[in-house]
Amino acid sequence: MGQGTPGGLNRQGLPGDRKPDGGDKKEKKFEPAAPPARVGRKQRKQKGPEAAARLPTVTPLSKCKLRLLKLERIKDYLLMEEEFVANQERLKPQEEKAEEDRSKVDDLRGSPMSVGNLEELIDENHAIVSSSVGPEYYVGILSFVDKDQLEPGCAILMHNKVLSVVGLLQDEVDPMVSVMKVEKAPLESYADIGGLDAQIQEIKEAVELPLTHPELYEDIGIKPPKGVILYGEPGTGKTLLAKAVANSTSATFLRVVGSELIQKYLGDGPKLVRELFRVADDLSPSIVFIDEIDAVGTKRYDAHSGGEREIQRTMLELLNQLDGFDSRGDVKVILATNRIESLDPALLRPGRIDRKIEFPLPDIKTRRRIFQIHTSRMTLADDVNLEEFVMTKDEFSGADIKAICTEAGLLALRERRMKVTHADFKKAKDKVMFKKKEGVPEGLYM
Amino acid sequence: MAPDPNRSGTSAAKDDAVAKKKVENEDLSDEDLALKQQLELYVERVQDPDQGLQKVALESMRQEIRTSTSSMTSVPKPLKFLRPHYGTLKAYYETMGESDLKKYLADILSVLALTMSAEGERESLKYRLLGSEGDIGSWGHEYVRNLAGEIAQEYAKRQSEEAPIDDLMELVQQIVAFHMKHNAEPEAVDLLMEVEDLDMLIEHVDKTNFKRTCLYLTSSARYLPGPDDMLVLDIAYTIYKKFGEYPNALQIALFMDNLQYVRQVFTSCNDVLRKKQFCYMLARHGITFELDEEMVADDEDREMLQEIINNSKLTEGYLTLARDIEVTEPKSPEDIYKAHLLDGRASAGASVDSARQNLAATFVNAFVNAGFGQDKLMTVSSDSSSSGSSGNWLFKNKEHGKTSATASLGMILLWDVDSGLAQIDKYFHSNDNHVIAGALLGVGIVNCGIKNDCDPAMALLGDYTDKEDTSIRIGAIMGLGIAYAGSQNEQLREKLTAILNDTKAPLDVSAFTAISLGLIFVGSCNEEVAQAIIFSLMDRSESELGEPLTRFLPLGLGLLYLGKQDSVEATAEVSKTFNEKIRKYCDMTLLSCAYAGTGNVLKVQNLLGHCSQHLDKGETHQGPAVLGIAMVAMAEELGLEMAIRSLEHLLQYGEQNIRRAVPLALGLLCISNPKVNVMDTLSRLSHDTDSEVAMAAVISLGLIGAGTNNARIAGMLRNLSSYYYKDTSLLFCVRIAQGLVHLGKGLLTLNPYHSDRFLISPTALAGLITMLHACLDMKAIVLGKYHYVLYFLVLAMQPRMLLTVDENLKPLSVPVRVGQAVDVVGQAGRPKTITGFQTHSTPVLLAAGDRAELATEKYIPVSPILEGFVILKENPDYREE
Repeated sequence: MGQGTPGGLNRQGLPGDRKPDGGDKKEKKFEPAAPPARVGRKQRKQKGPEAAARLPTVTPLSKCKLRLLKLERIKDYLLMEEEFVANQERLKPQEEKAEEDRSKVDDLRGSPMSVGNLEELIDENHAIVSSSVGPEYYVGILSFVDKDQLEPGCAILMHNKVLSVVGLLQDEVDPMVSVMKVEKAPLESYADIGGLDAQIQEIKEAVELPLTHPELYEDIGIKPPKGVILYGEPGTGKTLLAKAVANSTSATFLRVVGSELIQKYLGDGPKLVRELFRVADDLSPSIVFIDEIDAVGTKRYDAHSGGEREIQRTMLELLNQLDGFDSRGDVKVILATNRIESLDPALLRPGRIDRKIEFPLPDIKTRRRIFQIHTSRMTLADDVNLEEFVMTKDEFSGADIKAICTEAGLLALRERRMKVTHADFKKAKDKVMFKKKEGVPEGLYM
Repeated sequence: MAPDPNRSGTSAAKDDAVAKKKVENEDLSDEDLALKQQLELYVERVQDPDQGLQKVALESMRQEIRTSTSSMTSVPKPLKFLRPHYGTLKAYYETMGESDLKKYLADILSVLALTMSAEGERESLKYRLLGSEGDIGSWGHEYVRNLAGEIAQEYAKRQSEEAPIDDLMELVQQIVAFHMKHNAEPEAVDLLMEVEDLDMLIEHVDKTNFKRTCLYLTSSARYLPGPDDMLVLDIAYTIYKKFGEYPNALQIALFMDNLQYVRQVFTSCNDVLRKKQFCYMLARHGITFELDEEMVADDEDREMLQEIINNSKLTEGYLTLARDIEVTEPKSPEDIYKAHLLDGRASAGASVDSARQNLAATFVNAFVNAGFGQDKLMTVSSDSSSSGSSGNWLFKNKEHGKTSATASLGMILLWDVDSGLAQIDKYFHSNDNHVIAGALLGVGIVNCGIKNDCDPAMALLGDYTDKEDTSIRIGAIMGLGIAYAGSQNEQLREKLTAILNDTKAPLDVSAFTAISLGLIFVGSCNEEVAQAIIFSLMDRSESELGEPLTRFLPLGLGLLYLGKQDSVEATAEVSKTFNEKIRKYCDMTLLSCAYAGTGNVLKVQNLLGHCSQHLDKGETHQGPAVLGIAMVAMAEELGLEMAIRSLEHLLQYGEQNIRRAVPLALGLLCISNPKVNVMDTLSRLSHDTDSEVAMAAVISLGLIGAGTNNARIAGMLRNLSSYYYKDTSLLFCVRIAQGLVHLGKGLLTLNPYHSDRFLISPTALAGLITMLHACLDMKAIVLGKYHYVLYFLVLAMQPRMLLTVDENLKPLSVPVRVGQAVDVVGQAGRPKTITGFQTHSTPVLLAAGDRAELATEKYIPVSPILEGFVILKENPDYREE
């Protein structure tokens, strides 16, 4: 949409505009050095030029003709802007001039540029900078740097010899966070989930629908839920469901494991959480999925070590991000855990996590579905009667069933058969159940 | 899933077989499977020759579909399972004989088509029309919605084929009734707009939903093209009138500029109290309106009501507000400059006592103390014994400066006709022509917006319009223009057109006459006045056309057509025959005035097109074009914000004459509404290397902050005053802007929009436009000897207050909540109309975008729009707790 351009271009355009008027220097003689524009520090909260160029919000969220008319009005204006700019470019091409200017700026910047940190803004044209090694310097800021975007602590480009500020690095997303973004959708879809119909429906209503059809909630007059927590026995499909959500949605999907939020240095964990939600907000609509939330979300008690305190602080930041002072727009949160009872009650209160979705052990019907899903691609002998396993009284989780099927397949392989027999399944089941019951360390299913 | 009564035992075996097959094909749970089979069975049965069996099957199928409640995230299961059979059912339907059963089947097919029908086929609608026409809501909301969409398409198609639409309209009738009962007013309105039959709405609205319906209608009207918007408003007006919401009906009548409707409101309402409220609303709108016997029967009542329309109590209310907020103490310009907050250098600048700085102080003093009746420069001494201090101040100004100084007295005594005239009177006997001119102008200003039966302004000023001295003539003419703006006074027309027709009259006199005529006949499309101005323009020699003041002639012409859209065309044609020098300027002015406050995108495009040309011949028509963009786009919030964006582009690409106008356009768009982003842009421009751009930006800073006391703008201006302390012209502008920011000590607004930003006062807009056009050539007009054009702003000045009065029109203090207005159009339930509110007791000040609501149940406001004067009556149901 080119939203960022007007403000940005304009700022760059300004120094250029001044040149032609340079003739009447006489008047300028007595003028003080520079117009006292506001200092960079004050406007930290502002979002820079993007805020100014943002389109106005259109108020009735429900789909009605008024909304259509309003959106069309905005479109009309944008078309006019486009037409105007195109006209101007045709009449007075700025492309070449801009190209020329750019090459001049590149000359001034020199190459290579070193990356540094802005420590403090002294006045309009001077700042204290530091590079990753060595001391701090008092240097000048070149006129073409957008001073509105400079703020203490931001990453800047410095001239390699005189170290003056020649540019700033815009993208300050923590690389840790960018890794969390799911670029390639997982292969699991809703069809791969056996049963869990109610759970799917709940998660769709709470997470997907508010992003795709916000007007439904508006119509009825409620705020859509902010997030859900998935809990239940190990292997009941919590992560699987999250994968299915990621597979089906076109929203940005960020996935984190709770343990990733625990960092080596003090304050890094909370910072990461903040960064995570900031990125989610920037890329909204988005879904944040935090697996194994018990890694950071356990109940608070008197912590003895600094490490524990740090973990708690990370959780506090998480609490704040979930329902704190700043409202999160189109960011939905999915948490998953198998120990909901150990989580901090503050984390689970309505308003932070509005929906708690339990994943029970599969009942008979579901078990049948899961068996069907896992055996659908296996070559089974004719004598296999899955109903026997479906009807059994043992408690299986979804993962157990998968293990049984895999185990049965392995047994068949061991005997070099091309088909899996009923006996294989029986043996596999006994093996899995034995291991599950007989205190073999958890997680060593095979 | 209820077991099917028809299901015979024999089918069980078959079921199993089918079940096995299905298990292999799809993964269905048992329940689903059962349902699926059942539905398949029904489908088979429907095709059974036995009618009884058919009927039962259809019934149960219908039952199944209706009872299926599922998540809104997916297609209901019965529909899903019936999908494969849609084709067979359809085929069978065609073979069926005419019967009730056929209609039943059509119903079901219609529902199935909801998910099945191909895009553009409109089968749902087709079968619905063939069906049994039962209760439409029984199939659920989605179905109705889909049907409505298909009707809109079908209607368009039939309209182009000129096919009959009776059957459709019947269905529309049903759907509208359904929507209106289920809180879906926007959808009902949308459908009726599609089928172009909004009249139907009137029979369906009731007490519970008419407000939401009308709100939706009125806010849609702003964005609808052409005659549609008036149609929509007409409906809203009828509905409001039907339910006795006369204040809202009056609002719409005023918006449509339909005096017939205004009369209707008066005649159909019998409550005197309400009529009083109507009069307050008319007074705020600033139109001249005569009540007659038909509207108000009782003579005494009529007199009182007319008095309210004439605004004669405005000064009283304003002073009440001032007393309540405790700002009656007069302020001197130094109190506004606050030079002590600046560093040393500025104070050195302040000591320079030049004529221009005194003139600036005069204006600041006038703006700041406007309407308070006392100040520290002009009025003090006249009472105190040491007479001459006032004279001193007056005579600290030179020549034409004295005109403005004397006229400032009028501003200070604004709206207070009796004491105002008494105080100004002594200057009539001065032997200095400039002072007399100022006194004449002052009389006009005092009478601005006030009508008085004895017409003091006419009596005093009438004789001076034909005097020898031009400055006296201008003073009198301008005074008349301000005092009688919008009145369409015939007597004045004769008097003033005579001046225009006089070829020997100097250019400046003609220019001000044209403006005054424009103001008096604003938006009236008066032919004779137009002719007079046109002839006057044609008579001017080429060199005169180049004069900066000439711009007032086309502007006067434009004001005649303010907001009248197409009516301007004939005059616009004539303007094409003008001298080349003024032709385009005139064209732009007419276009922008005629479409001011309409939000017409095409006109914005046209104006923008003119701005995109690059001129080499020094033409000046782009200035009014830029202002025109602002005038047209200021109609609604969206256009306003988008126009601000477009103006940014103009700044980037435009040449000097465009860049000079851009700040003024921004000032008009955000008048008395200091938006931060606009403030930043203007602050940046105020340091521009082109001094005229900087001046315009500084004045605009004053305009966007007018009457707000905005500390940030005040700070910016203070810094600017030290930055420009050696440049007297810019310093003058800075001072004016400072005065504007503290306009009426923060009690006044310049915003021509009122009543929830719904109505625009034509005279206020005209005043603003005139002042802005004058600012297009700052050096020649405002900084030259015509600085008193700044007084045209008085037309837009209104107290930004909410003053509640009791039934006897005595001020009444009640608690009110004041907060940011929220757009609640089309929202469900009873949403809050304001956010972030604070509770005050009246009278209170309302900032731009603020809305108020009563915080007590004890009283009921007579008007739903709590702005200006509002009458409260006691709530009979109220009980003290």
